Amino acid sequence: MADFRLQRLPSATPAAALGARILAIALALIIAGVILAFVGKNPLALGLQVVTSSLGSSFGLEDLGLLVIPLILTGLSVTVAQQIGAWNIGAEGQFYAGAFAASAVGLFAPLSGGWSLVGMGVAGAFGGLVWILIPALARAYANVNELITTLLLNFVAILLVYYVSTDAWRERGGVANSATPRIKAEIPEFWGLVHWGLPIAVLLALAMAGLLAFTRWGYEVRLIGSNPAAGKYLGIAARRHLITVMLLSGAIAGLAGMLEIAGSVHRLQGGISNNYGYLGIMVAVLARGSSIGVIFAAALMAFILNSGIILQTQGLTTSTVLAITGLILFLTAIGDELSHYRVVRDKS
Amino acid sequence: MTEPSPRYVVPTGAAPLVQLKGIAKYFPGVIANQDVDLEVMPGEIHALLGENGAGKSTLMNILTGIYQPDAGEIIIDGYACQFASPVQAIAAGIGMVHQHFKLVNAFTVAENIHLGWSETPRRASAPVLEERTAALAQKFNLQVKPSARITELSTGEQQRVEILRVLARKARVLILDEPTAVLTPAEARELFKALRNFVSTGNAVIFISHKLDEVLEISDRVTILRGGRKAGTEFAADCTPAKLARLMVGRDIVLADMRARPPGAAAVSSSPVLRLRDVSVLNDNGHTALHGISLDVRAGEILGIAGVAGNGQRELSQVLTGTRQAATGVIEIDGHAIAHANAADFVRRGIGHIPEDRLQSGLAPGLSITANAVMREYGKPPVTVGGLFRPGAAKTLARSIASAAEVVIPDFAMPIRNLSGGNQQRLVARREMRIASKILVAAYPSRGLDVGAINIMLRYIVDLRNAGAGIVLISEELEELLNLSDRIAVLYEGRIMGVLDNDRVDIDEIGLMMGGRLRGEKGAAHG
Ligand SMILES: Nc1ncnc2c1ncn2[C@@H]1O[C@H](COP(=O)(O)OP(=O)(O)OP(=O)(O)O)[C@@H](O)[C@H]1O
Ligand SMILES: [Mg+2]
Repeated sequence: MADFRLQRLPSATPAAALGARILAIALALIIAGVILAFVGKNPLALGLQVVTSSLGSSFGLEDLGLLVIPLILTGLSVTVAQQIGAWNIGAEGQFYAGAFAASAVGLFAPLSGGWSLVGMGVAGAFGGLVWILIPALARAYANVNELITTLLLNFVAILLVYYVSTDAWRERGGVANSATPRIKAEIPEFWGLVHWGLPIAVLLALAMAGLLAFTRWGYEVRLIGSNPAAGKYLGIAARRHLITVMLLSGAIAGLAGMLEIAGSVHRLQGGISNNYGYLGIMVAVLARGSSIGVIFAAALMAFILNSGIILQTQGLTTSTVLAITGLILFLTAIGDELSHYRVVRDKS
Repeated sequence: MTEPSPRYVVPTGAAPLVQLKGIAKYFPGVIANQDVDLEVMPGEIHALLGENGAGKSTLMNILTGIYQPDAGEIIIDGYACQFASPVQAIAAGIGMVHQHFKLVNAFTVAENIHLGWSETPRRASAPVLEERTAALAQKFNLQVKPSARITELSTGEQQRVEILRVLARKARVLILDEPTAVLTPAEARELFKALRNFVSTGNAVIFISHKLDEVLEISDRVTILRGGRKAGTEFAADCTPAKLARLMVGRDIVLADMRARPPGAAAVSSSPVLRLRDVSVLNDNGHTALHGISLDVRAGEILGIAGVAGNGQRELSQVLTGTRQAATGVIEIDGHAIAHANAADFVRRGIGHIPEDRLQSGLAPGLSITANAVMREYGKPPVTVGGLFRPGAAKTLARSIASAAEVVIPDFAMPIRNLSGGNQQRLVARREMRIASKILVAAYPSRGLDVGAINIMLRYIVDLRNAGAGIVLISEELEELLNLSDRIAVLYEGRIMGVLDNDRVDIDEIGLMMGGRLRGEKGAAHG
């Protein structure tokens, strides 16, 4: 009689890892389909609808292109911090802070056209940087866990933006009363609705990957991230690297906020982030520490979000859509673990 | 040593407690185990010997369910078993204390003992856990302090916690992977007593070690692995260290006398290259670990540091290499006082450091072998040119360090923790010797190495000295110190008890000094 059993391997082969992910996503879609069928929807028709409207039309693809920009950047922000062993849960807040600072420049600085955009970009990155400054210093000098500090500052940023957009900077006599006036400087589009923020985000991810793999600084960051004690042994300025990397992480999330303002929304308003900061954490988890992986993980996440929007137009609720998103992530995580196993057969 | 134990006789009629049959385990490019049989009887202490990378840890990881064998059977008490995890192995009575401890540093002893244990009470307060831990410590006769945090414990104490953790789970087979490598001789004796006690009730111990004397002292039988295969099982009473060494490497090992200075060797410099003057150092807890030490290291000499571990050796090696600041006093390199140097400056001046906790602080276990091998030279050409890190050049350098260290590496991109413990140490040692043009501070360099590798390592240290470097050799092995050192300083409770010239050394005197007696009248070379 042959007997089957599971065997755990210390590391998964790349083929197994990829296969497990594809399987996980397929399985999640099947489960979602079954549930949809239960609530009386036709999953196949819905699926077809999703695929044709997001991938089959240029409108759908443009929407994807717009969604992917902030996701790449917030995902990159979290991934960069991970390299040195920090969890930036505050990309959301840094996104808001970046949007806030960029809007301030866009609305009030006496700059014209291109210069205004440059000013907004610098301000956006700087806003994100300022927003992570205290968590970074607290971690570096007092060993305060950044998970909590970055998270708490999210709420401050959200409220700040809510306040200025409904009060101090509100468009007087505007229709909605809950947003600033339109900001004149806009990032030009290069393909339909998609603006130059997309190539900027992709280039930034590639640049980050290059920086980590091909510079002395990147080597030191990876080393400290992997074993802080080794940093001390080698005399590397671990504290300075930690602060730099965390500030960089904040700046990237801040830039995401600026691109959202200058590229697609053009005014500051509450809820501007669409949870991109939190979704960035999921993107980073899917990318498993790879800056280039972030691009693909963000694309997948954008597709899921976009599908959600389409499904909502078909009468599904937001929570259903969120549940499906969660299911995919959950199964992917399980798939990643299972790819360490293989089935063996022993003869007895 | 202690009196020889009576000759071990395999009990007739008793079933082996553990039996491994035809075990094989393959990693990409490596045969870690092949056709390995092992039999351990109740009441037996069974030693497992072999060169670095011979497959000892892997075999024990298979027995405890961390790895699954690619072939072969595990038979416990006569029943074939399969362990999918260490939890299942411990449920069957098999527990292991690893080469690198797996305790949670921020937790207390009691919390570590109760972590992941089915018998931990559902709702337990700290006092309850501590009381239970104290009772366990009493029962197994292992002294631990239940409320202490792991970081506060010495290595020997941490090991006791690990052992207690295993015994508390009712283990009948205790596996110890190089348990004495990090223990003082006194701690090792304590451990041996506890082990004898443990097997006297029909339990068994499997014991991995590179110290052949100790293996012969404590074990009943010895199984030797060579290149992943079994080279034989012997009664300890029938063996000598030389015979064991021959079985391990397949040829005789000649221990070279290394004191002789070959013609052409660099002379000892008249002025010191590295000098400590009245240096006091605080340890991590803020206590004074070194009290106003003065020490000279000259080029072309080996300065041995004798003493029982834990008397300031760690802090001494750190302050000599810039990884710890001196609280007071002056450190001079080539006659220049170093004000606020860090480790990188010391490296730039040609000072290498084989740290005592090389696997914790000298390596990044999760990074590739290449990244670890280039740790000291990544910042300069050929690895970094104009700020650009060149992975190709890094790999070339890693390859040359690995071949100098005589470690065969199937894949330089794999995490270094996949290498055997001894092979990791060899890489660190070679990496440091490459940069130690002026000074090498080597703390317990032979720990964790097999006999052959120790011989090679010491040879390299001597060559380095002959080439004109000054060596600080910190060791507990008096024999090693006497064999190599030109001068020996004795460290006791953070103070130098005296410095002796090797040609006028009196072993008894060193022994007394290690116990805290100051150097006698005979005129110390330097204090
Ligand atoms: N997870 C792994 N992945 C790849 N190779 C491995 C892994 N674990 C062990 N090996 C390889 O298997 C071989 C045996 O290693 P093992 O750790 O069992 O040696 P050892 O006898 O314990 O040596 P040491 O005395 O140095 O501790 C080595 O060549 C090692 O590199
Ligand atoms: Mg080992």
